[in-house]
Amino acid sequence: MAETPEVTDDTWESAVLKSETPVLVDFWAPWCGPCRMVAPIVEELGEEYAGKVNFYKMNTDENPTIPTEFEIRSIPTLMIFEGGDLKSRIVGFRPKSDLKKRLEEAIGPSA
Amino acid sequence: MKEDPSEKSLKKMWRYAEKFAEKSGTHLHPQREITEAVVLGLADNIDNYGRPICPCNFYPEKDEEGNFAEGMYLPKDEEAKRRDWICACDEMQVYKYCHCLLFVNEDGLPITEHLPEDHEGREIYGLIEDPTPDKGRALGKVQEKNKKID
Repeated sequence: MAETPEVTDDTWESAVLKSETPVLVDFWAPWCGPCRMVAPIVEELGEEYAGKVNFYKMNTDENPTIPTEFEIRSIPTLMIFEGGDLKSRIVGFRPKSDLKKRLEEAIGPSA
Repeated sequence: MKEDPSEKSLKKMWRYAEKFAEKSGTHLHPQREITEAVVLGLADNIDNYGRPICPCNFYPEKDEEGNFAEGMYLPKDEEAKRRDWICACDEMQVYKYCHCLLFVNEDGLPITEHLPEDHEGREIYGLIEDPTPDKGRALGKVQEKNKKID
């Protein structure tokens, strides 16, 4: 399983806001238990939606600017962007079926 | 890669987690690596901030002038001065709900029975009943008692 690539405060604009492809970002921290449960699901979705949605993870311990801008409180928090706009915010651990549903609600069933 | 916290803080947090689970009628998460991650985070926060602040939240940093964003949790050094997110946090003490999944039921699910219906925990997990309502929720029980007196 391919590991989800990291996005940082510095690469946020080019990777997420200017992306022509919808983007899902997993905001996580190294010592957050539920983040460890979400990570493999995000990796699986990254393979299933390859070419249709770009998947990134952001370590909130190392990148405080973007989480502050989006007023993140609990982690994990997942955010879905399309055309630079925030389409959906998902807080906490969710099973894969829920995440797929939220993803398709956010960017359409063609995803 | 983060450096591991001190052995002393790790031992302290393992002991605390095991004792608090017993006292509150909950279990540590059946996936050992989930509990290990949370205990590491709590111990690291003891080493760096003096208190076991919940590692499953984002705490903004202060800028050069000591200011920080409003409407969010406080920076860690400020959170260490109040009770809200020090383990066992207010949500655990009032509602017996641990969003960090440290204190859960036998199946590894957090108890959501005592949460307000519009709480995100209810949205995520649905209704998860408290198998031991006689245990835990020290703050919640005090609040309920005070309401009755009012």
